[in-house]
Amino acid sequence: MNIHEYQAKKILSRYGVTIPRGKIAYTPNEAKNAALHVSLRGPWMLKAQIQSGAREKGHFIEEKAGKGGGIRLIHRRRDIVAEAEKMLGSTLQTLQTGPKGKTVGRIYVEAFAKVRAKFYAGLVIDRVTPALTLLVCKLDERQDIMATAVNRPDKILRLKLDLERGARKTQIEEVRRYLDLPERSFHFLREFIKGMYKAFIDYDATMIEINPAGVTRRGRIVALDAKMSFDNNALYRHPDIALLQDEYESEEREIKAAKFGFQYRDFDDGSIGCIVNGDGIALTAMDLIRRNGLDTSCFLNVKGGVDKDKIAAGIKIIMTNPKVEGILINILGGFLRCNLLAEGIVAAASEVGLNVPLVVRFEGINKDEAKDILHNAKLPIIVAYDMEDSIDKLVRAVKESY
Amino acid sequence: MSILVDKNTKVLVQGITGTQASFHIRRSVDYGTNVVAGVTPGKGGITYMDIPVFNAVKEAVDETGANASVMFVPARAVKSAVKEAVEAELSLVVCIADGVPIKDMLEIKNILKGSNTKFVGPNTPGVITPGESRLGIFPENILKKGKVGVVSRSSTLTYEAVLEINRARLGESTVIGLGDDMVIGMDFIDPLRLFTDDEETEAIVFIGQLEGAFEEAAARYYASMPRRKPVIGFVAGNTIPFGHKMGYAGDVLAQGKVTAEDKKEAMRAAGMTVVDEINSIHKELQKLFAPHA
Repeated sequence: MNIHEYQAKKILSRYGVTIPRGKIAYTPNEAKNAALHVSLRGPWMLKAQIQSGAREKGHFIEEKAGKGGGIRLIHRRRDIVAEAEKMLGSTLQTLQTGPKGKTVGRIYVEAFAKVRAKFYAGLVIDRVTPALTLLVCKLDERQDIMATAVNRPDKILRLKLDLERGARKTQIEEVRRYLDLPERSFHFLREFIKGMYKAFIDYDATMIEINPAGVTRRGRIVALDAKMSFDNNALYRHPDIALLQDEYESEEREIKAAKFGFQYRDFDDGSIGCIVNGDGIALTAMDLIRRNGLDTSCFLNVKGGVDKDKIAAGIKIIMTNPKVEGILINILGGFLRCNLLAEGIVAAASEVGLNVPLVVRFEGINKDEAKDILHNAKLPIIVAYDMEDSIDKLVRAVKESY
Repeated sequence: MSILVDKNTKVLVQGITGTQASFHIRRSVDYGTNVVAGVTPGKGGITYMDIPVFNAVKEAVDETGANASVMFVPARAVKSAVKEAVEAELSLVVCIADGVPIKDMLEIKNILKGSNTKFVGPNTPGVITPGESRLGIFPENILKKGKVGVVSRSSTLTYEAVLEINRARLGESTVIGLGDDMVIGMDFIDPLRLFTDDEETEAIVFIGQLEGAFEEAAARYYASMPRRKPVIGFVAGNTIPFGHKMGYAGDVLAQGKVTAEDKKEAMRAAGMTVVDEINSIHKELQKLFAPHA
């Protein structure tokens, strides 16, 4: 689960990470008051609160929002209301949001912090080691951190932190030297890294990114942006974080799926909807669909314990996606009762009305009975005998229906 | 022979009285698994499905000589259950629970360090040696005893891999599901080493997955082995666009770019046979075992 920048900053500041003064605003008028609250003379930053990186380089779909990106520097107090009006309610599109973009419902008004240098700091889990890992990188204006990680991985300093104690003094010194920070920054850097680490551990985070952090003239370290992701499996320990979930950030189908304990993923292109019971099988199905000349538009992982009602709910989630032109159901389980699965498929198909080809492949017990149920339903349902066969049949059926 | 578990493994069940445990332990016992004890705190002294139940792992081990545990405790209780199993010096723990917090798993890795306990999972279908011992929830009805070892990160693809082995008219020596959570106990390296030492195993089916560089690490290890058995590998996840929201951005940051194609390349370079389609596994197995046919 992710939270917004301003929420992450609030948490981090409680752990000793320095942040610029800021206040959240839902309306242009609130933005004006927030601006006066954080700084009398400015300049100010107006920052769209959507959960996406690269907001600065993004652009708004609506014309009224003007040419600026999702993060705007405002010098004159009288411009604040007008700029806030442009941003609020508009749709911000970034490299990470995809073409649909995300609607800006609130903006964070922040006092502009003047810094001499910027760097990236991240805390992630390196899962192979596995270890809590601190990542630091000097920022290059031309390349973002993900591009650097891909093209110049040697430019990122990676330090494994002790799970119980965090960064050692020598590690902090290593970071200072790596970033060419003055000696007087050591103390500020230590507080900064300690704050990130403690927030990470206390809140069961899976990732914290400060991108960028700034270094002031006096050598202080300021978090100019902040991103925190949390372990969904540990949210029970953090009801305060669970409350921050912003449902506007998730697809309607994602939320619906989550209610059944399913995982729904949506892709920008593609025409095939898949219902599977595992990530590995989802990935394999997607690979095969691509190899047959089509693409996956969405998949639903129904995980373990599929029963009649659950599968029916799952099918409805996929069937009501207008992009879907063919559906693949591929479910494997030793104890899966295929007959119940078949009943669920027929129930959902009859209720929603099946107007695209549906191919079903299952392994489990009562397979023959299940085939009879599907056959007798007189619906356009095709039964396949293995993975390859299921995708062959589906792709053929979809292409024929064009 | 086989690896990790066989008919002599004395199995203890942590969290034996739960619904899921009851269903699967019944099946495991019917399959011939030597289940000697159950542990459920507060229920010590009772007999459940003819299995004596104890309050603590140590007590169960002292009484019955159990040396492996299959854990059906809920995700939240996994960490303390592992601590108990390690203190009782069990040689193997198989953890079925789904949804174990990542921080708990990192702490568990620290607990395991310096112990002789091997931990498989979490979120695994389990470890099973056909006809001998079943620790977990893997469908035993599709297995056949044989000479192909299976190790897989994906639960559902383990199933698919077994079907492929059966299609080649072969059987399995031991099947191991590693689980695909962010932090897992056992990775590919132990199974590669153990299968190599196992006389019965003649080939290994290796199922990798996008995310995390476990396959690369395994490939490096395999390349360095003085004696090797043929490995037929598969990696799911070619289609996922790089950097798509499905992946964990931390993987890229921590290790650089990792695609399914890179993994396959690393595996090929190490000398494994890599198939592009999971349904080609049976063909490679046939080639391997009947080269002149």
